[in-house]
Amino acid sequence: MTVLGYAIEQAWVSLRRSGKSAIISIGTIAIAFVTLGGFLLVSVNVQRTLDRWLQAAELSVYLEDEVGDEARASIEAYLRAQPAVLEVEFITKSRALERFHADFPELGDVTESLNGNPFPASFEVRLQTGPAAEAQADDLARGVADREGVADVRYDRRWLARLLAIVTGARVAGGIAAGVLMLGAAFTVAAVVRLSLHARRDELEIMQLVGAPFSYIRGPSIVEGLLLGGIGAAVAFVAVGILFTMVGRWLGPDLAGLIGGEELLFLGVREGAILLLGGLAVGAAAGALASRAVR
Amino acid sequence: MIETQGLGKVYGRGLYALRDLTLTIEKGEFVFLTGPSGAGKSTLLRLLLLQERPSEGDVIVGGRNLARLTRDEVQAYRRTVGFVFQDFKLIATKTVFENVSFALRVLGMPVEQQRRRTYQVLKWVGLQHRLNSIPEELSGGEQQRVAIARALVNEPHLVLADEPTGNLDPDLSLEIMNLFRDINASGTTVVVATHDRELIKWVGRRVLQLDQGRLAAGAEAPQ
Ligand SMILES: Nc1ncnc2c1ncn2[C@@H]1O[C@H](COP(=O)(O)OP(=O)(O)OP(=O)(O)O)[C@@H](O)[C@H]1O
Ligand SMILES: [Mg+2]
Repeated sequence: MTVLGYAIEQAWVSLRRSGKSAIISIGTIAIAFVTLGGFLLVSVNVQRTLDRWLQAAELSVYLEDEVGDEARASIEAYLRAQPAVLEVEFITKSRALERFHADFPELGDVTESLNGNPFPASFEVRLQTGPAAEAQADDLARGVADREGVADVRYDRRWLARLLAIVTGARVAGGIAAGVLMLGAAFTVAAVVRLSLHARRDELEIMQLVGAPFSYIRGPSIVEGLLLGGIGAAVAFVAVGILFTMVGRWLGPDLAGLIGGEELLFLGVREGAILLLGGLAVGAAAGALASRAVR
Repeated sequence: MIETQGLGKVYGRGLYALRDLTLTIEKGEFVFLTGPSGAGKSTLLRLLLLQERPSEGDVIVGGRNLARLTRDEVQAYRRTVGFVFQDFKLIATKTVFENVSFALRVLGMPVEQQRRRTYQVLKWVGLQHRLNSIPEELSGGEQQRVAIARALVNEPHLVLADEPTGNLDPDLSLEIMNLFRDINASGTTVVVATHDRELIKWVGRRVLQLDQGRLAAGAEAPQ
């Protein structure tokens, strides 16, 4: 307790003495963590949207207009026999047209000017989720495409999977960028802590000569780093919150349409904790590293 | 308590501050180190605190070879030694009281006990009215007494003092020597480096005379 008390007391004195350089290093930490927080935020929302799209994703099997009842029944039987298949619904040509009218009322005129119904009948197949079902679904999509009476197969998950890969790649890139920024931030924290150590060098020498344990000598540096990192990350959290609110106000309705009518999600407890603990950890590590100069 | 064997310290280009020094100081002894300026008195004391490492030979304190201590053991060893530095080495930003209590704080002593002991010791050296001053507000003699208080506050097994009365008037010097005698009477080993022949005579203890880094011949005579 007395070590900790001393460390906190000294760290606070040092931070106040550091003044401008402490603020600069808090700023660099904050920038690194705004980047990280931004990526987390985008990734939380993109992930949720993708998940929902994946849930809703269907295999659509479009039939040729002239398909006979027998061929149709055989296709349906084939689909129902597949283990990856949850549900099969038959959509008639007229039902497809109705749906189009419902989804795009302002385009109603377009279809009226056409003669006849251009929409094909189809089977809409709901698939199980999970990696095993995914692999089977791929085979299924290929298999059903070759059957008699099938005009076309549209399989949403295939492009969703591709999208997912892109998002994952972007997330890795974002993580790396945040990591690099964080490394830079750690260096500025270490520089501030080293300045503080320099300002206290006489005191440190005396502490060593009177036999102060190294926890007394290093403790303040670690706490100083901890404070710089923690404050930086907290500032970043608030900044991400403000950015989020502003983006939500400007683009909210458009974005909401894009991601399916739901509100944008802010960082959850887990992501907030990642930010804050990350800041504390980076700061403490930098402080500890800087204090290794004292021997 | 203290044993040196063939102890040598070389600075720069072959300048021996200490050379082939072999001596023994018994537990509970009170010993003066004397000799002309540059004889190596401070150097010997610095080696005893591990403020520096010997170039040659060994220093054994309390049966342990100081050269073999790990970093943490060095700190623990220093906590058992009270050291009065020739240049005081007070922390400029801390008050008199804090400078002294700090030596107890790093022992993990409860705050209440730290306060009580610090106050007692400062009263003992006659500084109870300067508790909240910072070192630069004190005279040389007052700073010296703060340094002495810090060295004695944690009841060390061994007290090493480098010119502890260098800035004090004769009366105060005798008082400080009485402090050291009291500490010594309670079993603490005391080594005091000083030029002051009067003081040495007055206290009347064993004298180790150094000259150019060696023990001066025939100088080691208990009085
Ligand atoms: N850090 C150093 N670098 C180089 N030479 C040094 C150093 N410290 C001491 N010396 C030399 O070692 C010799 C012994 O010095 P030391 O300080 O031990 O003498 P002393 O007996 O304490 O003298 P004084 O009575 O003046 O305090 C001197 O010649 C001094 O110049
Ligand atoms: Mg000296």
